[in-house]
Amino acid sequence: MIYDDELETLPREALQALQLKRLQNTVERVYNLVPFYRKKLDKVNVKPEDIKSLDDLKRLPFTTKQDLRDNYPFGLFTIPLEQVVRVHASSGTTGKPTVVGYSKRDIDIWSDLMARSLAAAGVSKGDIIQNAYGYGLFTGGLGAHYGGERLGATVIPISGGNTKKQIMIMKDFGSTVLTATPSYTLYLAETIHDMGVKREELKLRVGILGAEPWSEEMRNAIEEKLGIDAIDIYGLSEILGPGVAIECIEAKKGLHIWEDAFIPEIIDPETGEVLPDGEEGELVITTIQKEAIPLLRYRTRDITRIIKEPCKCGRTHRRIERIKGRTDDMLIIRGVNIFPSQIESLLMETEGVEPHYQIIVDRVNNLDTMEVKVEVSEKIFSDEIKHLQRLKEQIEKDIKDLYGISVKVTLAEPKTLQRFEGKAKRVIDKRKI
Amino acid sequence: MKRIRQISVFVENRPGRLLEVVDLLGKHNINIKALSLADSSDFGIVRLVVKGVDEAIRVLKENGFTVSETAIIACMIDDKPGSLASILRTLAENQINIEYMYGFASPVEGKAVMVFKFSETEKAQEILKEHNIKMLSQEEIREI
Repeated sequence: MIYDDELETLPREALQALQLKRLQNTVERVYNLVPFYRKKLDKVNVKPEDIKSLDDLKRLPFTTKQDLRDNYPFGLFTIPLEQVVRVHASSGTTGKPTVVGYSKRDIDIWSDLMARSLAAAGVSKGDIIQNAYGYGLFTGGLGAHYGGERLGATVIPISGGNTKKQIMIMKDFGSTVLTATPSYTLYLAETIHDMGVKREELKLRVGILGAEPWSEEMRNAIEEKLGIDAIDIYGLSEILGPGVAIECIEAKKGLHIWEDAFIPEIIDPETGEVLPDGEEGELVITTIQKEAIPLLRYRTRDITRIIKEPCKCGRTHRRIERIKGRTDDMLIIRGVNIFPSQIESLLMETEGVEPHYQIIVDRVNNLDTMEVKVEVSEKIFSDEIKHLQRLKEQIEKDIKDLYGISVKVTLAEPKTLQRFEGKAKRVIDKRKI
Repeated sequence: MKRIRQISVFVENRPGRLLEVVDLLGKHNINIKALSLADSSDFGIVRLVVKGVDEAIRVLKENGFTVSETAIIACMIDDKPGSLASILRTLAENQINIEYMYGFASPVEGKAVMVFKFSETEKAQEILKEHNIKMLSQEEIREI
């Protein structure tokens, strides 16, 4: 279902005209209200009135996560704190968290964008949304919550964790939609099975999953285990929170980025050069509807590409491909670049392997080593060592053939690898460099 | 055809893991008649013949172990020098391949019990029968 018929199907020229107008307003806003941006723009000799076309976007400087940290906590806000109705922050596992603020209007627009996203995923008014994203400083919980309410659905603000209770509620309340991280969804699926809850006892229809990179093969595993449509949603707190981009249920191929609120670009992460549509690189987003903390050309560090071909759902907003990973998640093993999601894809395609894995990177005698731990499933378990040995060797060979690196695959007992209630941490890097 | 039920359990190679399997069965009063441990560098398979197969499978699964069941053959032979060689010779002469074998833990007066997993179970059984080698049924296992 299309939530905002007019804006979501706006012809490209009209959409671009709207983008330009909003971009001009945003540049003017930050130039006048944020000393950090004034300094940055003066340095490259760009005045707000120089933005005459969307092409002028590339004259603007980038904003990085470090810039947000340097201006911690409220240095990039355009409005005084008394007009800020809410703040969120990133987890900040390394150093200070990055803080973002929202005006009343920002919350309003966010709710609309999220409602739009939910509708694109096939959610509507009569649905019961079990919102298992964490509530708190993390934007996931409240973002999905406000969007669900705006859409007119019934929201269960259960937050993450408390898995058995989640399942009881899912069954008793008849939840039709789950919003959660893909890794937590897997854990829920496994617990549903262990508790002996039958698929027919659940009304679950759609999962709207995000907040971490996941693979197409993981989607297949989730859809098969739960008998639902699993939809990929994208967002990041610096830009808004959830609801920046989402797959439509019609195509389930690429995520529509809401271009009336964001301008996406793909750049070469090394040189900063803008790449043409279709090429893979780092996603850069300029917010053109944000009031409290608009960001110019924010470097998301997420790797994707823009799909410019029209989508069969009728929305005119371009799509980004499923996020491959974050530049900071990329592992460099003996000079080979590899994303955990690539290992995930491969594992999910191997029969007999459970969708639970861990990657351990270490350095032994100055040589990088990578160990992949996977759980064996009952289906494949054989009473003969050679069959298991063959499975292990097959995965090692596949990784070697595809990515050119030798890894050690270790078969683990079921349910021994860590399960996650929020974002998964599947990589342990023990290298001390 | 006389077959007996063997339970296989997947275990990672780490201290105490075999103990957990055996301890669990002990606590549920399940008697282990035969056991063998096959290992590779980082995992192993514990193979068990027990009294109370269904109960053992249930208990192990409830405690998170990956378990499978295999039909194997138990042969009773004389407990004297050369009797194992004689049965193996018979099998070899008939081109029967043994995947694995191990012996029973508890002694039977004057007899020994060996369990076998063959690549071709049916064929192996016929040959054993032809040569009058005594095979045990699940009921007979329970009694020894």
